[in-house]
Amino acid sequence: MFAPFRLDPASLLGEISAFQRKLSAGLSQLAHQPEPEYANTPRELVYREDKLSVWRMKGQGTPSAKTPTLIVYALVNTVWMTDLQADRSLVRNLLEQGEDVYLLDWGYPDGADRWLSLDDYINGYLDRCVDAVRKHAEVGAINLLGICQGGTFSLCYTATHGEKVKNLITMVTPVDFHTPDNMLSSWARDMDVDLFVDTMGNIPAELLNWVYLTLKPVRLNQQKYVGLVDILDNPKELTNFLRMERWIFDSPDQAGEAFREFIKDFYQQNKLIKGDVVIGGKPVDLGMITQPVLNIFAEQDHLVPPDASRVLERHVGTADYTQLAFKGGHIGIYVSGRAQREVPPAIHQWLSTRN
Amino acid sequence: MADPASDLLKDYQAMAQQSWNAWTRYLQQAATANPLGGAAAPGAHPGAGADVLARSMAALKSYGDWLQGAAGSGLGQAPGDWQQSMQQLFASLGGQPFAQAFAGIESDAARGFAQQWQAWWQATQAGSPNLGGIDLEHFAAFGYTRERQLQQQALAAAMREYLDWAGKYQVLIQRANTEGLEKLQARLNEFGDSARQVESLKALYDLWVDGAEDAYAQIALSEEFRHVYGEMVNAQGRVRQLQQQQLDAVCRELGMPTRSEVTAISKRLHELRRELRAGAAGQASDEVTALRAEVAALKRELAGKAGDPPSAATKATAKKPATRSNKRVAEEEEASVRRVKPAAAVAARKSVVRGATRTRK
Repeated sequence: MFAPFRLDPASLLGEISAFQRKLSAGLSQLAHQPEPEYANTPRELVYREDKLSVWRMKGQGTPSAKTPTLIVYALVNTVWMTDLQADRSLVRNLLEQGEDVYLLDWGYPDGADRWLSLDDYINGYLDRCVDAVRKHAEVGAINLLGICQGGTFSLCYTATHGEKVKNLITMVTPVDFHTPDNMLSSWARDMDVDLFVDTMGNIPAELLNWVYLTLKPVRLNQQKYVGLVDILDNPKELTNFLRMERWIFDSPDQAGEAFREFIKDFYQQNKLIKGDVVIGGKPVDLGMITQPVLNIFAEQDHLVPPDASRVLERHVGTADYTQLAFKGGHIGIYVSGRAQREVPPAIHQWLSTRN
Repeated sequence: MADPASDLLKDYQAMAQQSWNAWTRYLQQAATANPLGGAAAPGAHPGAGADVLARSMAALKSYGDWLQGAAGSGLGQAPGDWQQSMQQLFASLGGQPFAQAFAGIESDAARGFAQQWQAWWQATQAGSPNLGGIDLEHFAAFGYTRERQLQQQALAAAMREYLDWAGKYQVLIQRANTEGLEKLQARLNEFGDSARQVESLKALYDLWVDGAEDAYAQIALSEEFRHVYGEMVNAQGRVRQLQQQQLDAVCRELGMPTRSEVTAISKRLHELRRELRAGAAGQASDEVTALRAEVAALKRELAGKAGDPPSAATKATAKKPATRSNKRVAEEEEASVRRVKPAAAVAARKSVVRGATRTRK
């Protein structure tokens, strides 16, 4: 008779006692762990305004690229995912390839930032950051590398301030917010976002983290920590794990007004691909993006489904559009071994023929 | 002889004192309530480290409990009735294996908000007269505290509505749990065709996780889930809104700044800042326009003198090499001009190339 198990009492007991042994021995490792540091690639402050900072990242040598690249991260989480640890750093890899890399760190909004709108972020902060990089690098136009929501911001910015952008790279960027596999969008659709923001003010990072965890509740709340037991006796792996935990949970709150606008216009009404987004009185028409575009998305992305990004091809006005499908997830695209081998060289190669 | 004005003042002071006491009791309860277990609620007590540790440890504990249960379930010992062993194993955990991971997070969230509400309700009711089991929520409001009674009743109704939607949400989570187990059994049945076997409890656990996440994803992407989720969030928002209104009233009575006042001030400040920046940008823009006009006039003047022999000064300027920045800006401008193409014309030239990387150019 068929039985799907090849288990016997001795092996069961052995597995259970091994788990308990690893757990009890490993907990002492957790007790003596310092806060894991990010890669902390050397950097120079170029611009600061309110809570945001623009850093010029410094590599071993002088950049060979003529045009600097500004990385624009999402407002959720922090830009340090791109410089997480020495051997898993998009920034370091790009620097080693000869790119001139600048980072926009949005900082941590507080009550004073409650009324910051998308107009403030895109036509205000982002525009002034781009100007700061142009001035610092003494160029007329720069490359933008927008990530996730930062990619959406970069699309809006390029469509309305095209003269300051030479090349546009978008990574795991949502464009069509109503693909059928977009869980976040589905959940946001029936929310009264006005009531939500009016009562919450700024949206706490803790709340957003909780929402992200519930996208895959068993994997992210339990399986991940069960897997942790297997690496408790490996100091390097344990530090890497805890560093990632730091990045995941050390997130900024969201400025209430910008959150309201982003949920309404993008997640609920999907205005970007309809050409209906207006930011600060400026209509956002993706057809106005005539710069070369490199669109990179992750095939196993549970936050931004690949189809949500892939659709960009049909909406931008450029004749020079390239897309790269990465075999990995929303985070793996920055930190996996495959990402280190594939993504920065692809970006550099693409830029090198267009700078 | 009674002094109506004095009595009214005393009543008012007593009422303000009662409100203040209620808030104090509420905050004290909130601060001492279950510092580890109850902290997972979003917006309740975002007390970072302890919460994350508690959640992580709870995940490990429930996995450890399941391992122990598996050892005693007879799993793998009697090949003929493996399905019965599986059912026993999961039934021993109340049909909800790893509730902490699956339903637990929302249970904590709901419980946290409910606890917050309960503490608030108890605190506000502490000074109320005992009316012998009368349903105060639906009691006709009248008298001096009529408005406050109505506010309390609205709050109670809003909380009831929230709990109702949270219950419906839990039903969907339970369904995902049940369907996850069904998927696990279906996958194990498929093993019969491939002669594969589960060789460890961890492997069985990983299979269950796959099934549970698949079942959850199907439900979480459904119209029904979207509706229930939205209503649950909106109902919580209404409770929060009514609580804030009451808190504002208490603060006003005590002469403290209210949330709505702070919000209004920060909004005005922000608008003022935007106006200032727009004004400054407009002024700068005017200056740039004036400078451009001046440059244009100078160029015209130079063009008019083109036939004349160049002066020493203009010769020197003409020989001076362009700076790095000038060169770059000129290159950029030239490139920018070359790049601009009408979107419609571009769309007609789009090409599709299959493969991981594709370029149209």
